[in-house]
Amino acid sequence: MIKLIILFPLIACILLLVFKSAKLNKFILLFYAFFQFINTILLYFKGVNSLLIPKDAIYGYFKIDSLNIIFLLLLSVIFLGVAVYNNSYLKSMKISKDEFTYYSVAIIFFIFSMTGTILSTNLGLSWVFIEATTLASAYLIYFNKTKHSIEAAWKYVFICSIGIALAFVGIILLSIATGSEMNSLFFNDLYLNFATINPFWLKLSFVFILIGFGTKMGLAPVHSWLPDAHSEAPSPISALLSATLLNSAFLIILRVFKLMELTHTDHYARILLLSMGLLSLFVTAVFVYNINNYKRMLAYSSIENMGIIAIGTAVGGPALYAAFLHMIGHSLIKAAFFLTAGNILKIFKTKKIREISGIIKIDKVSGWLWILCFAGIVGLPPSPLFISEFLLLKTLIGKHYYIIAAVFLILLTIILYGIAVSVINMSFGTEKKEKSCECERKIEPIKDNFLYISQIVFISFSLILGVYIPVFLNKLINNALVAMSIN
Amino acid sequence: MENALIVLYGLTMLYISATGRIKAHVKMLFFQGILLFLICYFSADKTNLVNFMFLTFETLVVKTFLIPLFLTKILNKNKIYRDSEPHIPNFYSLVIASIMLFGGFLISNIDYQAFDGINPIYFGVSISSIIISLYLITTRHKVLTNVIGFIMMENAIFLLSLSVAKEMPMIVNMGALLDIFIVVFILGLLINKINESFEDLSVYKLCDLKDCDCDD
Repeated sequence: MIKLIILFPLIACILLLVFKSAKLNKFILLFYAFFQFINTILLYFKGVNSLLIPKDAIYGYFKIDSLNIIFLLLLSVIFLGVAVYNNSYLKSMKISKDEFTYYSVAIIFFIFSMTGTILSTNLGLSWVFIEATTLASAYLIYFNKTKHSIEAAWKYVFICSIGIALAFVGIILLSIATGSEMNSLFFNDLYLNFATINPFWLKLSFVFILIGFGTKMGLAPVHSWLPDAHSEAPSPISALLSATLLNSAFLIILRVFKLMELTHTDHYARILLLSMGLLSLFVTAVFVYNINNYKRMLAYSSIENMGIIAIGTAVGGPALYAAFLHMIGHSLIKAAFFLTAGNILKIFKTKKIREISGIIKIDKVSGWLWILCFAGIVGLPPSPLFISEFLLLKTLIGKHYYIIAAVFLILLTIILYGIAVSVINMSFGTEKKEKSCECERKIEPIKDNFLYISQIVFISFSLILGVYIPVFLNKLINNALVAMSIN
Repeated sequence: MENALIVLYGLTMLYISATGRIKAHVKMLFFQGILLFLICYFSADKTNLVNFMFLTFETLVVKTFLIPLFLTKILNKNKIYRDSEPHIPNFYSLVIASIMLFGGFLISNIDYQAFDGINPIYFGVSISSIIISLYLITTRHKVLTNVIGFIMMENAIFLLSLSVAKEMPMIVNMGALLDIFIVVFILGLLINKINESFEDLSVYKLCDLKDCDCDD
C-alpha cells in the first residue's frame, strides 16, 4: 500500500508531462486525491493498532506507525478537499495548457514530498523530503507571476533553504552524538540506542534541528517567509501550505523531541519549544492589527496556531493531547478559511481588508463561511480549538505555570480581537462603493457550487469535533500519545 | 596534507569576505570545489568504491564545475559584476571574518573528550565557515551574492559532514546533493525573473511585501 502511495505520483507526473492535456490534469489531480485518501483509510484499518512495528515498506525507509497515521490522514483529507475546490478555482483563470500542466505536476510533487516526509523512518530522508517540499511549492507560489509573487517565492526558497541547511548541520551533530559504534539515522535505532547518545552533542543538535524544521513549521522568530508565501500563492496552495506543510515539519520535531525525552534532556527542549511558541503568539499579536491583507492575516494566524501546538508539546501530559487536537482542528478550519479567502478574492478581486465590506449581502454562503471559519480559528465554542486551548490552559495552571498561562490568555485575546475587527468589518456593513480612482473592478458573486463544498465539509466536521470527538479519533490521538510516551 | 588543505579552505573564506567582485566569488567557489575534492581524496575511505566515486562526482563535477558555470552564465546574462557598498565595508568584513576563523581554530584546539570521534580542525574550520557565510549573506546587497553565500554555506556543511568519522547513508547523500543542486537552479531562474521585474538585483528592492497599509 505504501509502495502505491509513493510510486503513483511519480508515474502521474510523467503522464501529465508527456500528454499535457487540460482534461487529463483535472482528472489525475482528482484521482490522485481519491487514491491517496482511500489508501490512507486502508492503511489506517491495517496499522493503527500496532506501535512502531513495520507494516509495509520499501527497503524499510517508509513505514506507518500510530504517530504518523494522524498526519497522513489529515494530509489526505485536506488534499481531497483542496483538489475538489482547485478544479473549479482554476476554471475562471486564464492559464495556458502548459502552465496548467506544470501547476498540476508541482502540486502532485508537493503532496508526494509531504507524504514522503510523513512516512519516512529515517531522519536524513525526512530532511531530503522536507527540502523537496520547498522546491515543489516554489513554482506554486510563483504561479501568478506578478512582481509580488516573485518576491514571495524568492524569500520562501531562500529562507527555507537556509533553515533546512541549518537542520542538516543539526543532523550531522546528531550523528556525532550517537558515538562511533552506531551509524544509523533511523528513528527506531536512535530510540533503541538512546543510552549511548552523548547529551552535549544531542542538545546542540536539537537547537539546529528546531531552528531548521521550525523554519518550515513557521515558528517565530524564523517565520518571516510565511506571511509572504501564503498571501501570494493561489488560495488552494495557501490552504495546502498552511494545513499540511507546517504539520509535516512538526512531525519531525516531535520525533526528535521523543529522543530528547528518552535521554532525559527534554527539559532543555521544552524550554526552547515553549519560548518559540510564546514568541510566535507575541509576533502574531503585534502584527495582526496593522494588516490590510486578509490572506496575510490568515498566515499570521497559522503562526499563532503553530505556536500553540509548540507550547502544547513543550508542556506535555494532557497538553500534548491538546496539541494533537489543535493540529487537527487547525488544519481543517484553516484550509476552509483559505479556500473561502479564495472565494472572496474571486468576488472582490482585491486582497485589501479595507476595500471589502458586506460579503454576506453579496454572497451569503461565502459570508457565513467566513464568519464560521473565524469563530473556529479563534477558538470560540463549539470549535475544537476551544477544547484544545482550554485543556492546554488547564494543564498550564495545573502545573503552576501561572505567568505563562496569563501571558497565553492575554495574547490569545489580543489576537482574537485583531482578527475579529477585520472579519466583522468585511462580512457585515453595507457594500462599499468603488473608489473613483485605480479600480474598475466588478463585484461578481460566485456561481459554482463546487467552490463551497469543501469548506462546508471541513467546517461541519470541525464543529462536530468541538461537541463530540468520535471514538476513532480519540483512539487515534491516544495511540499517538502512546507512541510519544517513553515507557 | 589534509590540514594544509583545510587551512587553504579557511583562507578562501577570508578572500571572499574581502572582495566585492562577484567574478572573484565565483572563482573562489571553483577553488573551494577543488579543495573539497582533494580533502575527500586524501581522507575518504577508498575501500568503499561506490561512495568514493559519489564523493568525487559531487565535489569535482557539481561543486567545481556545474555550479560555478551556471553562476557565471547568470552573471553575464544580468550584467552584474560588483557588490558595491555592502553594509559593512570589505576591510572590516575581513577583520570580522578573520576573528571568526580564529575562533574556529581555537575550538579545534580545545582538549575536550566530547570531540572523540571527530576531526577537530575540520570541525573548527567548517563551523567558522558556516558562520562567516551567514554573516556575508546578511551584509551583502545583491541577490546573487546571497546565493553565493548560500552555496558557500553548503560547502562548509559538506566539510562538517566529512569531519564525522562515519558516513551518511548513500540515499541521504544523493537526496541532499540533488536538493541543493535544484535549489541553486531555482534561485538562479528566479534571479533572472527578479532582474526583469525589479530592474535591479539589490535585495533592497525586494521589500514590497510587508505588514502595513502599503499597496500590497
